[in-house]
Amino acid sequence: MAKVELKINGKQHSFDVEDRTLLVNLIRDHAQLTGTHVGCDTSQCGACTIHMNGMAVKSCTVLAGQANGADITTIEGMAKDGKLHPVQQAFTECHALQCGFCTPGMIMAVSGFLKDNPKPTDDEIYHGLEGNLCRCTGYINIVKAVKQAAKAMSK
Amino acid sequence: MDQHEHHSRLFKVGGAQVSRFEDMRLITGNGKYSSDWNAPGQLHACFLRSDRAHARIVSINFDKVGQIKGVVGVYTGADAQAAGYLRPPSFLPPTGKGGMKARVPERPCLAIGKVRFVGDPVAMVIAETHLAALDACDLIDVVYEDLPAVVDPEEALKPGAPQLHDDVPGNCPVEAESGVEAPVMEAIAKAAHVTKITVDCTRVTASPMEPRAALIEYTADTDSYVVHTPSQGVNMTRKQFATYANLGEDKFRVEIQDVGGGFGQRSTVYPEYVSMMMAAKALQRPIKWVSTRTESFLTDTHGRANLITATLALDKNAQFTGLRIDWITDQGAYLSPTGPAGHIRNATSCMNGVYNIPALYGHFKVVLTNTGWVAAYRGAGRPDIAYAIERVVDAAALELNMDPADLRRRNYLALSDYPYKSATGSTIEIADLPGLSAKALALADWSGFEARKAASARKGKLRGIGMSAVIEPTGAGSYPRDEIDISVDGEGQVTVHTVAHSQGQGHETSFAMVVAEALGIATERVKIRQGDADRAPHMVGNHTGGSRSMVGAGTVCHIAANKLIDAGKSLAAEDLGVEPSQVSYGKGEFTSAHSKKKITLAQLAAKKTLAAKGEGTFISTFPNGCHIAEVEIDPETGITEIASYLSVDDCGHVVSHTIVEGQMHGAVVQGLGQVFGEHIVYDKESGQMLTGTFMDYIMPRAGKLKSIQMEEYTTLSKLGPLGIKGMGGSGCTASLPALVNAVVNALGVRHLDMPLTPSKVWKTIQQTNVKH
Ligand code: FES
Ligand code: FES
Repeated sequence: MAKVELKINGKQHSFDVEDRTLLVNLIRDHAQLTGTHVGCDTSQCGACTIHMNGMAVKSCTVLAGQANGADITTIEGMAKDGKLHPVQQAFTECHALQCGFCTPGMIMAVSGFLKDNPKPTDDEIYHGLEGNLCRCTGYINIVKAVKQAAKAMSK
Repeated sequence: MDQHEHHSRLFKVGGAQVSRFEDMRLITGNGKYSSDWNAPGQLHACFLRSDRAHARIVSINFDKVGQIKGVVGVYTGADAQAAGYLRPPSFLPPTGKGGMKARVPERPCLAIGKVRFVGDPVAMVIAETHLAALDACDLIDVVYEDLPAVVDPEEALKPGAPQLHDDVPGNCPVEAESGVEAPVMEAIAKAAHVTKITVDCTRVTASPMEPRAALIEYTADTDSYVVHTPSQGVNMTRKQFATYANLGEDKFRVEIQDVGGGFGQRSTVYPEYVSMMMAAKALQRPIKWVSTRTESFLTDTHGRANLITATLALDKNAQFTGLRIDWITDQGAYLSPTGPAGHIRNATSCMNGVYNIPALYGHFKVVLTNTGWVAAYRGAGRPDIAYAIERVVDAAALELNMDPADLRRRNYLALSDYPYKSATGSTIEIADLPGLSAKALALADWSGFEARKAASARKGKLRGIGMSAVIEPTGAGSYPRDEIDISVDGEGQVTVHTVAHSQGQGHETSFAMVVAEALGIATERVKIRQGDADRAPHMVGNHTGGSRSMVGAGTVCHIAANKLIDAGKSLAAEDLGVEPSQVSYGKGEFTSAHSKKKITLAQLAAKKTLAAKGEGTFISTFPNGCHIAEVEIDPETGITEIASYLSVDDCGHVVSHTIVEGQMHGAVVQGLGQVFGEHIVYDKESGQMLTGTFMDYIMPRAGKLKSIQMEEYTTLSKLGPLGIKGMGGSGCTASLPALVNAVVNALGVRHLDMPLTPSKVWKTIQQTNVKH
């Protein structure tokens, strides 16, 4: 068993978990934040994307123990004081979600790469979305939302 | 109306832009999908699955399982036998060609005696934690005696092929036919030209991003079950559970909220779910299971898997005189509820496509192979038949050295030909392909293609253009009618109940728009409740599938709202001191010119029960469209880029342009996925699946299709008061042939089977030595 102490969405937590527990399972099953999803077993789909110490990572690819001491933000922590994050806002305004299952991971991935690259070209956006799968939207409106969010955040 | 104007009309309510109502919870992480349900005291299930394609189970030894702390039970086929959970429902008609009796094999929820595909569940372990269940599965020893396996449907039909089920001789559950053979054979014999082509509408998998999951609770006092699992409609799910488990539908309460994509894959109650019922009852504790993605690839119902030969007869004026379709539909190791029936019915319904073809004959062979089972997938036979027709038409144009657009134009049914009674017995309501495709050809600048091709050639690229003109049935359901319950509360809030269930289609918004429009009130005042567990058992209605929800439930939302107005008029009459006929309604208020009084919906509902039930029965209506794609291929790499994609669609009256466009994007890209990468492949020798992860199964990604120029060309359906034709699948139906036609055109070959991967395209270029 491992003791994992970490901050999630600004709140300090301490959990005792089996050594092999993945961060995504800690978030979903122990912290009971089910907005972070699991869509694959091979690190391909990005549904589990969260921010760890400010960086977008796939939480299915991190052991819970590796997150000891980390500062984690999940989709539940994105809206602040009742105000949506610009990426959340852009996703709904551009109809960039249908079933919504990929959406938390998409939003976390997009907000992560816009931090590194606030003015991406189309090709950079496609590249940035390479690790996130969506089955519903055909990505066209997701790309639109990324552009709209980038614009809103540069203001 | 141009693209921009469409967008300015999105979700506008009273001039203000609003988001989909479902969005707020989904973008903040507050959605509730099946794996998000938990119950106090729940146990976890894990399935041991067959690691081989075809084998006799000699023995199962689970002595070692006790070493794992927390294991509370192991279930096998013997338990399935004892429970009698042996037969999932099948919608296959009982008789086929020449009165042949359909032979639907058993599918016990856990394998009995034999495994028939890689992934077949052999044992279920129940433990206190998921990880304990997983560990315990590893310790079960199964001794198998391997049997020869067959994964190719043509091989499976040959004499001497390995037999999957003793009671399905020749691996053929049924042969079916539609239309009449003799006139087609005569047309072929007399034809000036005959084009014959065989196309593989490949096996793919729906891959909704939410993997399957279930939480099953048993209630002892009523001997009944509460079920949480992805569904396209709770009543259909209840019915399927009831059939599989030989219990009454009243024994199942289905509670669900959000569903992470469906595409037909959620139209089946799976063996895992009924297996979990056994444990829930025996252990009197809730049982939870969440599928891994690899389990999804192996055991979710697959889609398509049809090998289709189309033989088209043309006279000397290039008029189509007859079409013969020979169709082998690979259903995998067992028959799913929707699989064979849907493919045959939908293909029969539109076997003439958008053309005037006086003689039609279809011959269907349903085949079992040692592979995963197959069910409805985004179109369920509709894309497959359209793909075969639109490929044979293009091949005929190539052979006759004609412009494919011209060959189509000569053969389109005219607007005045509708309603059209096809030679396979379907009545196709209304379409105007001459007008619609003329619009598409003009917008795509079809006639200017040669110049663009030359420009591509100067860059060293091969350019191709392809079109498709397609139609498909939607609207008819499997329940006798669709019902909608509507009521108003004292705050003026309108609540609408439906049993259709969105898996992303956005019913909470689009149905609310219909009701708000009918009542003349703000959309925010309308709350759509889908599949309410208390109410659904008392309602009749179809699930969401086959592109039909807006046609059925959506139209009934309008009917119900108008019944509510009528009911309100009677109730308001007393208050207004007049006869009901003297009450008028508008914008949320009942008024009387006679008494000069008025009462609002809210005021009336505060005093009296204001509620109504709407209902409607719908036969098929036919969305249609023309899509035109241009591709550019790099001959050095074989990589295909989509240079442009245009769609002109007729889906009747459109309620929400935003949602329709979103559905179209998704459907076109699902078609594109099948065309360029997606393919479920089994090794012919071992029967192992070679594409069991997203690393091997190539899903479309952002940027493959950068944009769609989307236009409408509307003819209204007369089947309902709103003129809706339905959509959702149609983008996929049109994009398969449009994209393949474009690539084949670029390569100058007659046909190439999907998936058109870079390596396949590159090899073709090497073999044919195409000039660029
Ligand atoms: S669940 Fe993490 S990438 Fe798919
Ligand atoms: S919205 Fe359904 S998977 Fe992206």
